[in-house]
Amino acid sequence: MSWLWLRCRVNFTMNIRCCQRNFCAASSPLVPVPLPSPMETHLWYLVPNEVKSDTLLNQYLELLSPCERENVFRMSGDQLRKRALLARALVRTTISRYQTNCQIHPRSLKFRKNIFGKPEVDWQDVDDRHLPPLHFNISHSSSLIACGVTMNSPIGIDVEEKQRKLKNNILAFARRYFSPYEVELLTAISDPEFQRQELIKLWTLKEAYVKALGRGFSAAPFKTFTIRFRTAMEGGIHVSGHRDSEAFDTVIDSFDDPKNLANNWQFALLDLAGSHYAAICTEKDRTAGGKGTLPMKLTVWRTIPFVEDECVSGTDAVVAIAGLT
Amino acid sequence: MASVTGTSISMASFKASLAPSSRVSTLRSVSLPINGKSFTPLRLRPARFRVSCSAKPETVHKVCEIVKKQLALPDDSAVSGESKFAALGADSLDTVEIVMGLEEEFGISVEEESAQSIATVQDAADLIEKLVEKKGSA
Repeated sequence: MSWLWLRCRVNFTMNIRCCQRNFCAASSPLVPVPLPSPMETHLWYLVPNEVKSDTLLNQYLELLSPCERENVFRMSGDQLRKRALLARALVRTTISRYQTNCQIHPRSLKFRKNIFGKPEVDWQDVDDRHLPPLHFNISHSSSLIACGVTMNSPIGIDVEEKQRKLKNNILAFARRYFSPYEVELLTAISDPEFQRQELIKLWTLKEAYVKALGRGFSAAPFKTFTIRFRTAMEGGIHVSGHRDSEAFDTVIDSFDDPKNLANNWQFALLDLAGSHYAAICTEKDRTAGGKGTLPMKLTVWRTIPFVEDECVSGTDAVVAIAGLT
Repeated sequence: MASVTGTSISMASFKASLAPSSRVSTLRSVSLPINGKSFTPLRLRPARFRVSCSAKPETVHKVCEIVKKQLALPDDSAVSGESKFAALGADSLDTVEIVMGLEEEFGISVEEESAQSIATVQDAADLIEKLVEKKGSA
């Protein structure tokens, strides 16, 4: 991948003003997208193997801040560098699609971290002061990068390859990191492959929750909460068996949570692109009355920024497992 | 190793490109001038002497082995005390698996707060020795 050495000579005097002219240099401008409504979640994902062009990678590199570029080059090896680059390019291009009056150049976005280290957009530098705040969260495996976007709600997402194998014994891992309820649930599964799949799914849900909380891994250690499925219809708790995504509702039991704040959150779990489990956690819509949770309204796009976007909701690329309509 | 020299070369020429008189044609040479000082790729640099509560080399080595195993890196990959988990491609699941491996190897228990602050192999090794010492004196 010779492009990485060539791009070390990047020109820092490039004009960074918000300008339509810069878009013309790209293959095609980013397709603008309406803002998600307060109850909607958007998910954009990119498959690194689909990005092969050095020219395109260079275009992405030009979107990054100097600091982000340094971070990319600090990664060990070309594959990791490519992944780091694509992750930042995905975040920047995704957020810049959501615009009202002024077209935001992906390169002009600024980011900061909250006091716990969770990345967020720093809107102060954006010209259009009326731009409502978007929340985003990214996750990547070695073969897919995803970015979730919401309005007015914190969001956490996690993606893992369905085929991912643990180096440790599954139950030993579960005993170390999961709650007793979850360990029991996994122990009851006799088929090792199914057990492994359920562990990975549970992992993504728990990761998504902690990332949505945005207070760091230690603020909600995995052992201190349980994520389980509850049938919305019967109000009871079903441990295993066939999951109908319409009927099941993910519930958090948090042991340190006297005010039951854990139930402000809702989840979606899906089979993404045939290759990954993806979990999304957002705040529940508090205007919805009653104890039930409306299924998450999710729209999913597969993208190669500046090249193609494909809305894949309703296709084989998005198969609901739980929490979705 | 390719990854280490690759990183250091690109970092060096990345910084070098900011200087008007940088010579990027020196990409292939071993020693790259940065701010007038000679920059030696990491693997040729003599081991830096680290002051105070620093873990024994054997501990660092064991951590490197566990990390390489978890991340499926070849035996000869350049993993050292300075290696950052994130830069090696460890995601959160890798990290907790590594912590679990370290707990089993050293007979210790790592709390989430401590685990969260581990960024490099050296951080892990230092924490391990602190926990082993605490366990020994308990």
